[in-house]
Amino acid sequence: MSDKNTIKDQKSLSQQKNINSRRKFLSQAAATTAVVATGGAAANNLPPNVPEWQRHLGKPVNSNPYGQPSKYESSVRRLRVPWLTPDSIASISFTPLAEIKGMISPNGLAFERDHGGLPTIDPEQHRLMIHGLVEKPIILTMDDIKRFPNVSRIHFIECPANSAMEWKGPQVGRLQFTHGMTNCCEWTGVPLKYILEEVGVKPEGKWLLVEGADSASMSRSVPMEKALDDTLVVFGQNGEALRPEQGYPLRLLTPGWEGNTSIKWLRRIEITAEPSYQREETSKYTDLLNPRDPKRKDLIGKAYLFSWIMEAKAIITFPCPEKPLKEHGKYVINGLAWTGTGKIKHVDVSFDGGINWVQAELNGLVLDKCWTRFSIPFEWNGEEVLLQSRATGEDGYVQPTLKQLREARGVASIYHNNAIHTWKINKNGEVESVQV
Amino acid sequence: MYKFNQKLISAVILALSLTACSNDTSQTSTETTTKPKETSVSEKVANAILPSAQAATYEEITIKTGGFNLGKPASKEEIAGWHIEVSHGHNLPPGEGTAADGEEFFEEVCANCHGSFGEGVGRNPVLAGGEGTLTDKMKPERTVGSYWPYASTLLDYTHRAMPFPSAQSLTWDQTWSLSAYVLYLNDIIEDEDFVFNAQSYKEIHMPNENGFIRDERPDTHNTRCMKDCKDPASIKVKTALLGYGSGAEDVVEETKVAKGHELGQKIYDGTCRLCHGTGLAGAPKIEDTLTWEHRLKQGLSKVHKHAINGFSGQSGVMPPKGGNMELTDDEVKAAVDFMLKDIEQ
Ligand code: HEC
Ligand code: HEC
Repeated sequence: MSDKNTIKDQKSLSQQKNINSRRKFLSQAAATTAVVATGGAAANNLPPNVPEWQRHLGKPVNSNPYGQPSKYESSVRRLRVPWLTPDSIASISFTPLAEIKGMISPNGLAFERDHGGLPTIDPEQHRLMIHGLVEKPIILTMDDIKRFPNVSRIHFIECPANSAMEWKGPQVGRLQFTHGMTNCCEWTGVPLKYILEEVGVKPEGKWLLVEGADSASMSRSVPMEKALDDTLVVFGQNGEALRPEQGYPLRLLTPGWEGNTSIKWLRRIEITAEPSYQREETSKYTDLLNPRDPKRKDLIGKAYLFSWIMEAKAIITFPCPEKPLKEHGKYVINGLAWTGTGKIKHVDVSFDGGINWVQAELNGLVLDKCWTRFSIPFEWNGEEVLLQSRATGEDGYVQPTLKQLREARGVASIYHNNAIHTWKINKNGEVESVQV
Repeated sequence: MYKFNQKLISAVILALSLTACSNDTSQTSTETTTKPKETSVSEKVANAILPSAQAATYEEITIKTGGFNLGKPASKEEIAGWHIEVSHGHNLPPGEGTAADGEEFFEEVCANCHGSFGEGVGRNPVLAGGEGTLTDKMKPERTVGSYWPYASTLLDYTHRAMPFPSAQSLTWDQTWSLSAYVLYLNDIIEDEDFVFNAQSYKEIHMPNENGFIRDERPDTHNTRCMKDCKDPASIKVKTALLGYGSGAEDVVEETKVAKGHELGQKIYDGTCRLCHGTGLAGAPKIEDTLTWEHRLKQGLSKVHKHAINGFSGQSGVMPPKGGNMELTDDEVKAAVDFMLKDIEQ
């Protein structure tokens, strides 16, 4: 056998392994469900038998004073992709979007992006300092902050690096990693404008430097218009205190803007005349351009600065690589859509890789800068299908194709990839992440 | 390539019927046998009469705001302790330093992660080089020298967040000298005795200072086309490179497969990247697929052997095990496999 064949063999072997182990994974996942539903010893629990758990008393009330999901849901969790970041401190975890049951990400599943690790902050000793171009610099305690009028708003947060791995070609093989750098929670807090009213912003104060109390002292510049619009100083998340991963005890929330501007562990707001050009708005979170469009050639090598808005995006969460189709028949395709510019107006679904489109239904609440559910019924009889979804915002903006994005920006700009995504349903019902 | 038969399209059309989506499943099952009528859908889509959830709005607060008089005044000392940012054009910190001062200190506290020449160790950021690469389609290298618009950001970030394990531990003098050294590594400061401080700051010009423009988005102009939006022949399906596990932690089944490359990447980052990441000493660069395809023609096992035993060819000398004799043969092979993972055989 020649060396060349060895390579070939090895390659196909590893592909084989990949497929096998994926199969195994899927069938194991299926088996776990099967055990619960039908299999093994548990079979005694099916009709006409009386289930085991019905024949004796359950655990005492409040056995678990802070409630936990069922043990059968233990595989539902955030995951990290170690090769993506320098280490596990300046790193990111992904929301398991395939497991999200509504328009809210539960607190334990909301993706987490830290640049200097997760700090443990004593709220008694946490302070928010507001100074700079103001009449009256002040320091607020958590108790002070909670005395201001507060509101609850459901908003998505999305890291601008969401889908970043997919610019050059399809890379990661499942929804959690192609789209999981987003979460959507009900946030409770004080509109920042009420706090700014207290300190008296001087007329030359046009920008805010906002800063966290983590080891990265995470910092961004935010323009005054956004601060006075819908920015919140948040202490509550889905009905409880903010989770540490989301900035306990206090974070900023700049609805619809890149997640990084919603500074966590907020400790300082300085009113300034100019932006401060922090590392996270120069070195990172800027969009280096290499447009393929010949009309935009002059932009090659330039970069967008302050590209705050997260543009419209829709993604199908069922079926997806994590949730294959196990048999032929009727299904309802589900998905989530959002846009940083306002409300979702339409979501369309294509079954043929973008040739023809049909309008999906929006389900439940359609809120400003918020995950919006969509669905469309579908009957599957074992055909190969190229599934796509496309969001349109109330501003009329239509989610672009990857080709359009590449024409505008090239393939190496890392951030703000909101391209239409494709799932390929194979004949055996497995779903693959592909690009067309 | 894909052929989309009418049957599939009709399945979709059928599915669009509104009852199919209601809770009443008994009704939907009878629907299945009904022959779909194409007109019904195009009509529906055309007239957009599908029911959509109504957009909801929040009640506004009517409480009178202002005059809450909460908190306590912030004193000058309190502000001074937290007022750490350095901004271009204003807010430059006290103190000073030279690249010569910074060199030894950098070697001591920064080089472990960023490399003696700022080349980056492991996955830690590269701090120097990359000039002229911003126009590279595939692999622009954004570093302090090639990309950052202002030196103030370097002072700010170094003082704010570095060294990574002990943030805000540097004095301003140390910050000036380390920053001077990083700029020296990037040939932006050329004289290692140049005194970097608030006065001399304006003499420093970052090469990419004018490389940034304000966000021009929306820069794509898709339309809501519903029918025959593209040529079916234009559809070429590319599958994700990484499998279902995608190298994630905790995915027990998958990490076994990913492991080969995880180890390989670790070895590569630690030993091989120095030359193969940059082309140092004539080493073929990892992204030069053509070279690798060519080299692979001699067979993988020979390429493995060359990496283990060393090899001197037309472009330079590949030291045995990349010069790191602590590596086992298997570790070197893993590194080679990682380097070749994207090469078509
Ligand atoms: C333990 C490893 C470690 C040490 C030691 C360390 N750094 Fe870093 N450095 C990092 C990591 C990790 C990042 C990226 C953090 C992130 O992504 O948020 C970084 C980022 C940087 C950046 C920004 C790079 C960019 O392109 O955005 C600079 C500049 C920097 N470090 C300078 C220094 C200096 C100067 C020192 C010595 C005082 C130092 N570092 C010590 C790990 C380290
Ligand atoms: C000091 C620089 C240097 C380091 C470090 C280094 N290499 Fe190389 N390597 C070279 C050079 C130069 C060549 C090209 C030799 C030639 O063909 O002239 C090369 C060639 C190779 C080749 C191609 C051999 C062939 O048959 O064509 C492989 C494979 C390789 N290196 C693997 C590695 C691995 C794996 C490591 C890390 C364990 C490593 N190298 C570290 C300089 C280096």
